[in-house]
Amino acid sequence: MERDVFLSMGKAFGLEIDDPHVEELYSYVQKVLPTFKCIEELNLTGFEPFMPYPSSEVSS
Amino acid sequence: MDSNELYFSSIRSLSRMIQKKEASPLEIVEAFLSRIESLEPKLNSFITLLYDQAIESATQAEKEIQAGRYVGPLHGIPFGLKDLFYVKGIRNTSGSKIYDNFIPDYDSTIALRLKKAGGILLGKLNMHPLAYGPTGENEEYGHMHNPWNLDLIAGGSSGGNGSAVASGECPFAMGSDTGGSVRIPAALCGIVGFKPTYGRLSRYGMTVLAWSQDHPGPMTRTVEDCALVMNAIAGYDPNDPTSINLPVQDYTRALTGEIKGFRLGVIKEFFDLPIESQVKISFWRAMDKLTELGAIISEISWPIYHYGTAIASLIQMAEATSYHRELIRKKGPLIYPPVRLRLEAGVFISATDYIQAQRARSLFYIQSLNLFKNLDLIVTPTVPVTAFSIGTSSLVLDGQKVNVISLLTQYTRPFNLNGFPAITVPCGFSEDQLPIGLQFVGRPFDEESVLRSAHAYEQATLWHLRRPPL
Repeated sequence: MERDVFLSMGKAFGLEIDDPHVEELYSYVQKVLPTFKCIEELNLTGFEPFMPYPSSEVSS
Repeated sequence: MDSNELYFSSIRSLSRMIQKKEASPLEIVEAFLSRIESLEPKLNSFITLLYDQAIESATQAEKEIQAGRYVGPLHGIPFGLKDLFYVKGIRNTSGSKIYDNFIPDYDSTIALRLKKAGGILLGKLNMHPLAYGPTGENEEYGHMHNPWNLDLIAGGSSGGNGSAVASGECPFAMGSDTGGSVRIPAALCGIVGFKPTYGRLSRYGMTVLAWSQDHPGPMTRTVEDCALVMNAIAGYDPNDPTSINLPVQDYTRALTGEIKGFRLGVIKEFFDLPIESQVKISFWRAMDKLTELGAIISEISWPIYHYGTAIASLIQMAEATSYHRELIRKKGPLIYPPVRLRLEAGVFISATDYIQAQRARSLFYIQSLNLFKNLDLIVTPTVPVTAFSIGTSSLVLDGQKVNVISLLTQYTRPFNLNGFPAITVPCGFSEDQLPIGLQFVGRPFDEESVLRSAHAYEQATLWHLRRPPL
């Protein structure tokens, strides 16, 4: 994530972007977000967002 | 009875003692309070101890039982609650000083059902701050300590539960599990920890970590005790929108000791990841024991498992940030720093990423169900390592440097993502005399098979009878 996008999103949420802690957060986000990229490798055609246990499935 | 025997008695044994009038609820509660008083300086399992209330409740239980109003096997039995189950009038910190003075004005369904079953609440148990971490470290209320070696983690987030039950401070405790937070401390402390199917137990009145992956669950010293607690707390609750309205069995009836012909699957991908050799050895010995008991073991493949951590972590992160958004904005600097980082990182997950992860979860769920076409249960190690030193952030295993959060949750988190029932029972000890856990996982709402298999294994071994050197 680009730094200016990070700062802009953080500010929009309400984080104190001038706080020195934000540097640590940026490093952490840079480390964590790429670990989620693998989800894009999955073929999700035909799959809707998960809903826990529709009643039909539970009763079957 | 020798007081040490009392501390390590099962719920079933204590219940029989009460019924036969060999011990009264008051005597039992006083004994456990005394045990807590002597061990707390070492263990730090409790955040709030309810001494006076427990004595009062035990006196009341004694009167009820003497008057012939015995309500069941939990009547007069002491227990603890992780400090995120609301109890009306009792402070609920969620493991964070930010909530040091928060007093709920209603009971969680779990607390209410245990009260109705006659249980005596001893106190609220220590936990990883906001339940957001698997180590049981808490700099604000003090770290939880493993009864088998006080320098080591108890595991988390329900670490106070693990140390309290394993050390004989209470016979059972209720925890919550979003990525393994019941099963991890149970495995590392050498007790039983059960995460029933999502929707089986009510989440009403619990502090949220991630709505769609939070599961309450009992932590006990035996599988039978787990079944007894389940009998008191399972069932539909209209206050929880994800609670499922299905009939609840008497779970103790599942404990037949018979697993001949049960088809158990071992997931080969689980062994692609770092795992301590002692854990691996204990696991395969447990497979030999299950084979001796008549189970049929086969190796299966679950390729999507390797995506599970990413899917579950993204969803958890987004939901936790959403739940705590006002806290992050208004009191960010007061949040335990490692938890603050994880909460704030959730701000940078987009709505479309979250929805994509929920779509991936549907695929993960279908592929999880497919595993059970030719299986009754999955069996895995619960945690790939034994307990390690408090303050450790990474370990080197199989030549790889691994972050401890990923490591501790690598075998438990997939079953929060699909919501399937999973239990851990002790299956061995390392050379350093540290407990090792074995996990059984079943089909959705098939708690009976999970409990039956875990019980059959437990009864065929002696691991659950070992006691920590306190």
